[in-house]
Order: sequence, then structure tokens, then C-alpha cells
Amino acid sequence: MLPYLIRRLGQALVLLLIVSMLGFAILHLAPGGPLSQFALSSQMSPEDIARISHQLGLDRPLPVQYADWLWRMLQGDWGTSYRDGSAVLYVIGSHLRATFELMATATLIACLLGCWVGILGAIRRYSLFDTLATVGAMVALSIPTFWFGLVAIYIFSVTLGWLPAGNRHTVGDDSLLDLMHHLIAPALVLALVEMAIWARFMRSSMLDVIGQDYIRTARAKGLPEWSVLSRHALRNALLPMITVAGLQFPTLLGGALVAETVFTWPGMGRLFLDSIAYRDYPVVMGILMLSAAMVMLGSLIADLLYAVVDPRIRME
Amino acid sequence: MSDGFSGVTGPTRRGALAMGVGLAAGVSLPASLRAAQPPSAPKGQVVAGVSQEPTVFHPLMPGIEVDQGVWWQLFSTLWYIDPEGRFQPDLAKEVPTVENGGLSADGLTWKVKLRNDAKWHDGTPFTAEDVKFSIDLINNTAFRARNRVGHSLVHDIKIVAPDEIHWRMESAYSPYMSILSLFFIVPKHALEKASDPNASPFNNAPIGTGPFRWGERVPGDHIQLLANTSYHGRGPFLERIVFKYVPDLTVLYTQFRTGQIDYTGIQGVLPNFVKEAKTLPGRKLTVSPTASVEHIAPNLEFGPLADRSVREALYLAINKKGLIDALNYGLPLPTESFVPQQAWSFNKDLPAHVHDPAKANAILDAAGWKRGSSGIREKDGVKLEFSNSTTSGNAVREQTQQLLMQDWKAIGALLRISNMPAAVIWGEFWQQSKFQSVIVGVNFMLGSDPDVTPRFGSGAIPAKGGRGYNTYQYQSKEADRLLAQGAAQFDLAERKKTYGALQKLIRDDLTILPLFQSVISEGTKEGLQGFSPNINTSSNCWNMREWYWA
Amino acid sequence: MSTPAASVSTETGPATSTNTAWRRFRRHRLAMAGTATILVLALGCFLGPYLLPFDDTYIDILQRFAPPLSGVHVLGTDELGRDILARLMMGGRISLAIGFLAMAVAMAIGIAVGVIAGFYGGWLGSALMRFVDAVLCFPTIFLLLALAALTEPGILATTLLIAATSWMNVARIVEAQIRSLRERDFATAARSVGAGDLYIMFRSLLPNAMAPIVVAATLNVAKAILLESYISFLGYGIQPPASSWGNMLNNAQIYLTSAPWLAILPGLAITLAVTSFNFIGDGLRDALDPRLDVN
Repeated sequence: MLPYLIRRLGQALVLLLIVSMLGFAILHLAPGGPLSQFALSSQMSPEDIARISHQLGLDRPLPVQYADWLWRMLQGDWGTSYRDGSAVLYVIGSHLRATFELMATATLIACLLGCWVGILGAIRRYSLFDTLATVGAMVALSIPTFWFGLVAIYIFSVTLGWLPAGNRHTVGDDSLLDLMHHLIAPALVLALVEMAIWARFMRSSMLDVIGQDYIRTARAKGLPEWSVLSRHALRNALLPMITVAGLQFPTLLGGALVAETVFTWPGMGRLFLDSIAYRDYPVVMGILMLSAAMVMLGSLIADLLYAVVDPRIRME
Repeated sequence: MSDGFSGVTGPTRRGALAMGVGLAAGVSLPASLRAAQPPSAPKGQVVAGVSQEPTVFHPLMPGIEVDQGVWWQLFSTLWYIDPEGRFQPDLAKEVPTVENGGLSADGLTWKVKLRNDAKWHDGTPFTAEDVKFSIDLINNTAFRARNRVGHSLVHDIKIVAPDEIHWRMESAYSPYMSILSLFFIVPKHALEKASDPNASPFNNAPIGTGPFRWGERVPGDHIQLLANTSYHGRGPFLERIVFKYVPDLTVLYTQFRTGQIDYTGIQGVLPNFVKEAKTLPGRKLTVSPTASVEHIAPNLEFGPLADRSVREALYLAINKKGLIDALNYGLPLPTESFVPQQAWSFNKDLPAHVHDPAKANAILDAAGWKRGSSGIREKDGVKLEFSNSTTSGNAVREQTQQLLMQDWKAIGALLRISNMPAAVIWGEFWQQSKFQSVIVGVNFMLGSDPDVTPRFGSGAIPAKGGRGYNTYQYQSKEADRLLAQGAAQFDLAERKKTYGALQKLIRDDLTILPLFQSVISEGTKEGLQGFSPNINTSSNCWNMREWYWA
Repeated sequence: MSTPAASVSTETGPATSTNTAWRRFRRHRLAMAGTATILVLALGCFLGPYLLPFDDTYIDILQRFAPPLSGVHVLGTDELGRDILARLMMGGRISLAIGFLAMAVAMAIGIAVGVIAGFYGGWLGSALMRFVDAVLCFPTIFLLLALAALTEPGILATTLLIAATSWMNVARIVEAQIRSLRERDFATAARSVGAGDLYIMFRSLLPNAMAPIVVAATLNVAKAILLESYISFLGYGIQPPASSWGNMLNNAQIYLTSAPWLAILPGLAITLAVTSFNFIGDGLRDALDPRLDVN
């Protein structure tokens, strides 16, 4: 076990290095820079822009800039944002809470609802419920999020007035209730789209398991159906869901860019979008590294959990 | 040297009225805004929605328009220009003029008397030391200043008293008075200790002399400012201002509708919502002109666009009225000049645009541009074909491009649309004249000064190594002559003539194809008093200290 | 690193005969409905414009925002007075074409990488799969930056971007399949007769791994169509005046309350197409995977 973990850790570090190099190169080679936003202003001439560019160290050769960034990174200095001058970790950290709130809620709803739909669909395969649920889940998966979100806002906020038209909280109100009120629309919109994935995996996993011999044996032993399903089938069917959870893990902190824009949710997705739009290199690199680490951590945890839970899988 | 504002001598009331035109620009205030009385103590809050996030809180560092909106609350200037175009003192006791001895006759010596009752948010009194520090800071080469235009000419700053400061200018520079109207003063005691002038805790916990002080900021979400009860001027009448960042313009409008936002700032209400917004109960909409002129910017060194007859034909073929009335819902003002219509230097006698595709065709035929087999004109092997770019995601501009495409096809010109995100288009593509044509809105004025040497001077072409932003690559000896002349003149009447001639020249040469002067539609909740657009300040949030709830 | 989910499905037997597969596919009602829908959409989009009197780019600003069924324009007009039905059809051509093209490119790259990695294993296979993992760490919007450095926005950029985000999963699936298949009898037999590596990879192993590949392909088309609208949202999509379902949907945002049909119609088209492809993928999965032959 330990040698496997060490090997995986080593691989992860190498990967992170590759990702950082590729990411840095792409970011700096893409046209435009952090000072493009001032190009039209009468207040700053191209000479001013060049001067500030030089002061930020942006005219140094790329490998030099990368080495500088890497060296600081290894010492724990993630850099400071070009936009507001605060530490990159602080900028990211201040968005993490909002992201986590939204994504955790959405994933929880998606997982619970999705698994429930999937299980029922597997048990009553090809029934009306199954067909409707499958179609419904599939349709939800196929709707572009920003469209879905805008329609939801229009119906529930503008027309009915039940829910706020976005934002994380009412200005001045920090209560949990207010947060939940604002969380409903974005979390549901996200969950409905994600639900389909959980439902499909759960359904196929459940079908896999139901078709196994040991289920037939359990039935043959005369056990009641609900016992067969819940004690034998369900537990085994849930195992592959761990993989799904592992795959969803990075999105937990990556946020949902579109939903955050439509619902004015101050999360990581939108931070990433804005940072890229303004070419805030330090913040973009910070988020990139974080999300890469999340992806690797997620797949490692999923692999480990699966191995722990299913003794048939060997760690090569 | 005459009375009235010339930029070097200060404005005199007599002079301003005698000129008859607004000194900078004039927008009259509707009487209804003066109805109720403001409260005796700050009351209530205003949530201002903005579609870009303010991130810069050091007013001397590079910032965009939204940042300016926040600076106006936290900081003060020596003087500012009100909506009628008059200079009003703020931190200065009075605006320096030749008459009151504040300015020397040659414009080189400045003697500014300051208020002695202004205090920084932490209680420290404001003194002349702070003014000197601010000017020195901006001239400090290690500091990432926005620009040093005007400030670099200041030297010999003498503090004769805590409330009086003198300095000398290296050369007389007309626009400096209005440059100072946008120059926020920063505290010496808070900033002098910082080892790196660019990075100090001040940047995220600013201290100013403005009507509001720093409350809190949640990055990516909002900024909260609290009333400064020891403010030296009129107001503030609000307890709190919250600048809420709402990135999507449709959502911004929706939140305005549902009441989550009390005021829609930048970029305001989209034109297609204006009509509906005007009918919303409990909401008021104000449409006000900005100094930005929307135009088609040709790269004058590119093939067909270098030919003036081509530009003339293209201009004639534009259905400007359709563009303004249909796509922009009739809101912006058609214009022929790069100067805003409210400015003193505006030339109203420029030839008006006519939509005449037949004449356009005739001009092109006469100039030797013959239609090819595909219907596209050609001359000497060069096709009348070019690309047009703008920021992607700007719905109205994209519609404009497609309308232009169809109108120009009718005269045998082929337009290709190639839009890109803002960071890309305004990078090298724009700055180094790598474009063929661009639809863009530009504020040509420097403060309220019409000196456009950096935009049209032949020595200001970055692509040719010049210093400036003449990305059109316009080169004209006559324009250079007029520009040099205007920058050296001090008499307002003479400058008006010079810049009038310049506008006519630019219009005749069709250096740019002017479309309209932009407007901004801002919504306020009913009951919110005091909102007053001001084309002379950098933000319509300039007077939030005077806002209150009726 | 192998994903457990992939490892579960590596026990496919010899390829199912096409007849049995087709019969099983036909039984999957939703998949058949999906196929029919796609056929109708595709036919409509590719033939329709020849039957319509309106051009999809003709602007008539006096006819803006005509609602559907109100006049000569069956589905109404858009913000520039253009016929929406014509734009939907022409847009459908582009969206569907991009869907297929992007899928094809993603498949090509993914299969190539997966087959090589799965067949050779060892150092080369490991390195390739690590590279796949590295690219998976980049969010879509970041890859857009990479593209911005290479091309201008448009059909090519959109196709490349979508392909760049989709090929990784294909590579993973293929690699897992090939890895398990390469030790099988028929592979060993081929090698013993002296067949070269390339032959074994592409003529012997790959055909037996087609089932999950085909499923992945259809799902990728669905994802591609959805991604196209996401890319338009990010500002890098199809350039005007060409229409695609994605950029029609994007442009309709600000008119959602004043002219909702502008958003509903392309949204419906996208949802219909994506749902159909997803169902087809489902049906193919059921049809080609013999393990699902339960009672």
C-alpha cells in the first residue's frame, strides 16, 4: 500500500510540474495581457502601459518569469493579484466558501435525487416511471445551464417573486436562512443538470448487480425482495458511485462558471473567468494549480476507496 | 489672456457666462431632483449595482471607470467640475485664478490655499504636506502611476503653511487645471512608511478625506462604505453605500427590477430594456450623454481603407438613422465629431451625414473601383474587402456590424466580422494597429481638454515607434500644425477656432467614421434623491455624498 | 492509473454480431426515437434552406422581433429582422457539423493515444496516460486561451476547442480496453503468425474494443453540441453573421423577457439534439454490451 501511495504521490508531483509549465506558457503566450484593459483609456498611453508592464516584470523572457514564479511557489508564496494587489491565496480563499456552499448543496441534491431515481428505475426497468425519469434526466442534462438559469430567474424571481434574482445574500443579512433562500435557485439548477449523471450511473450499476448470481441465490433462498435489494444489491451497487464522486470532487471547488454568472454567486468559477478575462496571471496560475491538485486528489481517493471497499481490485 | 476659463487662468463667473457656452460641458438638472430635504443625520443605504468589479483602491494607480466611482466616495480632489461645467473647490479653499492671485499671469506659478478643516478618515488633519506627497508620489519612478501628464511639469513644491502650497510649472500647460480636478489626494502619514509604494496595506484599506470611509470588501462580491460623519463638505446623507458586482447586464437589470439594487451604475441599463424600465413602477430612469464617441476606426494603412473615396463611400452607405433608432432604440446622439456635443470646443457646423448608397456607388465607380464577378469591387488587384472587429459579447455592436455588412454589400464592399474577447482585441491587435477596422467607443478628451495630439498626431503612431495612441495611423501635416497650435494657445476663443478647424479636417478626411455619441441609461429607485449625471467627472457616482432617500 | 469504472467493463467477449446488436438496439424505444429525431433534424437543416423563401442573413430592421405564426415568418424574426426558421436550419448545419467534426477529431486523437498506450504499456503507456491526466487538469476555459493564441474565433476554433476537451476520456477508455485485450488469445495468435505491431493494434485489437468507443462517440457528439453553446457564451464561438444554435441562444439572452421565442427555439433545438444523441448512446451501449442480457 505505502509504496503505491508514494508512487502515486511522485507521479502527482511530476504531473503538477508539467501542468504548471504548460499552463504558464499558454497563459503568457495567449494574446493580450493584464494591461489591455487600459488600452482605450485616455489616461494611459502605450508608453505608460509599457512602463507598468516592465515594472510588473512582464517583459522578461518567459523561462525567467516561470522560474521566478516556481521558486516563489515552492516557498509558499503564490503571488499577488495584478488587479487588487492582495495575495492570491487570500483571493482564492475568499471565494472558496461561497463555492463550497453552492457545489456541496448541488452535489448532495443531485446525488440523493439521482441515486433514488436510478435505483427505482433499475428496479422497475422499462416501466413508465423509468422511462419518464430517464427522459427527464436526459433532458435536464441537455439543457444549457445559462438558459436554464435565466428562465428560472424570470419565472421564480421576476414573475412570482418567490426567490431572489441572484446574489449570495441580502446586503446586511448574514443569517443562515437568508443564505438558504438565495441558495435554492442556483443549487437546484445545477443539481438538475448533474442529477442525470448520478441517475444513469446508479441505474446501470444497480442493473449490473441485480443480474449477478448472488442476487439470484438470495432470491432463491426465499428472502423478501426488499431485503434482497437493500442489503445485498444496493450496497454493491453503490460502490461504483465512489468513482463518480471522485470524478465530481474537483468541481466541488472549481465551481460552476455559468451558474455563478447567471446567479451572481461569488464563487471560484467566476473568479477564474474574470481572472482570465483580465489576464490576472498570478490568480489564474493559482487556481489552475489548485484545480489540478484537486483532480489528482479526487482520482487518488476514488481509486483508494474503491480498492479498500472491493478486495477483488488489486493495487498494481 | 482673456477672462473666462482658458485652462490656465481660472474660471471667473463673469467669464464663464460671457462665453455663453459651457466651460467643459453642461447638463441641466431636472427640478424634481431638488424636491425633498436631505436628513440631518446619515440615514439608510444605497446598493449600487455595477457590471465590472472595482479592484483598485489607490486612486493614483491604474484603474478603470468603476474604480473611479469608488474613489469619488473615499477621496477628495482639490477642486472638481460640476455638471454645468463650473470649477468648484473641494480641498482647496478657492480655485486659483489670475484674479485671486492663485495663478501667475504666465501660468507658471501656482499658489493654492487649502481648507484647514478637512480630516482624514483616521482623524489626522489634512495638510499641504499631503498634496505635496501625492504629487511627489505620482512622479516617483518606482511608483506604478497611471500617467504623469501635467504632474511631471511640477517642481519646486513649497509648503508655506499647513494650508497653503505653492509650486512652479516647467511650462504652461492648459489642461492641468482639469487634470487636477480628477486628481485625488492621498495621505502622507499612511503611505510614507511603506517600503514599496505599490504594495501597502493602504491599497486594500484606503484612508481618504472623502464623504465615505472604508467599510469592508468581499472580493468578487461587494464593497461596503460607511458614512464619514466628520466630512468637511456637504453630506453625506447615507449611512452606507454598497457597490455590488453583478457581472451579467441582463441580471443587473433584473435585480434592479426586483429591487435588490437601488441604482444601476456601469454599464447601466441595456438599450433594449430602457423603454420597459421607464414604465416600471417605483423606478426612475435617467439617460445622460457620455464623452465617448462610438465610431468605426479604420486602419489607414490598410489596402482599400487608405483610399479616401472608399471611406467616403462607406460612410455614405451607412444607415446611421436605422442604426441609432432601431439597434440603439433612439437613445444615442448622432454626431460628426470626435468631441462630445456638450464640450466648449464642439464644432456644430460639420457637414451632416446623409444615407446615399447611390452616391456611394458613383464615387467608387469614379475612383476606379470596378465590380468584379462576385459583385465585390476591385482596383489594381486589390479587393474592396476588409475585416471589422469589436469586443465579442457586445450584442448591439455585433448587430451594428451585421447591418453594416449588408449595407456595404450593396455598394460592393465585403465586410468580414472577426470579434474577439476584450483582453485580446485591446492588446497588441489594437495598440500596434494590427486590425483592419474596429468599432470602438473612445473618449477623446483629456479631462475636458480637446488636445488630441496623442490620437491624431503623426508622431503618435505606436506601430511606427511613435509615442501616443494614434492607432488609426493618421498622418496629416495640416492636422499636426493645428494640434501644435491648439496646445500652445491659451485664449479660449482662439482654441475653439483651432479645434473647430481640426474637427472639420478630421471629418473631411474621414479619419474615423463617426457614428454617435454614447449615452448611459442609469436607473434609480423612486425616492432616491440627489442623483446628478456629470460628464465632467470620471463617474456618475461623483456626488453620492448628496444622495438621500426622500 | 485506471479508473475502476473502466475496469468493470473490460470483460467484453468477442464482438457481438451486428445483427444481434441491431435487434437489441431496435428494442430500445428511446434510442429509436432519438435516431428518428436526429434524422429529421439533420434532413431539415441540410435540405430545408433550399425550400424556404427566406435567406438566413437578410436583415430587415423594420421587421424586428416578429413573433412566431404572426405573419409570413413561420417562426418569427430575430433582433435584426431575419427569419428564424432559416437561421435555425443554417445554424443546425453548423452545430451538427461541428458536433460530428469535433467528435471525429477527438476520436482520432483519443484512439491513437489510447491504442498506443494500451498496446505498448510500460514506460510509454504510462507516460502517455500521465500526459492525458495532465491535460484533464485544465478547465475548458483555460484551453480556450491556448486556442486564442493559435486561431481566430470561428468554426475551426470551436471544433478544435471541443475536440481538445473531449479526447482525453476517449483515450482512457480505449487504453483500458486495449490493455485488457492484448493478452487475449486472438492477439497472441496474431503475434505468433508474425503480424506487425500496427496490424495487431488496429486490425486485431481495436475492432474488438469498438463497443465502448462507439458509445463514447455518440455521447461526444451530444457533449459537443452543448459545448458549442458554452463556447459562444465565453465569446469565442461562431462569428456573425453565421448562425449556430449556440450563438443564437447566446444572443437571445437579453431579449428573454421581450422576445422569448428567440431563446426558446434554439434552446429547444439544442436540447432535442443532445437528448437524442444521449439516447442513441444509451441504446448502443445496451445493444453492444452482451452482459446486459439479463433474464
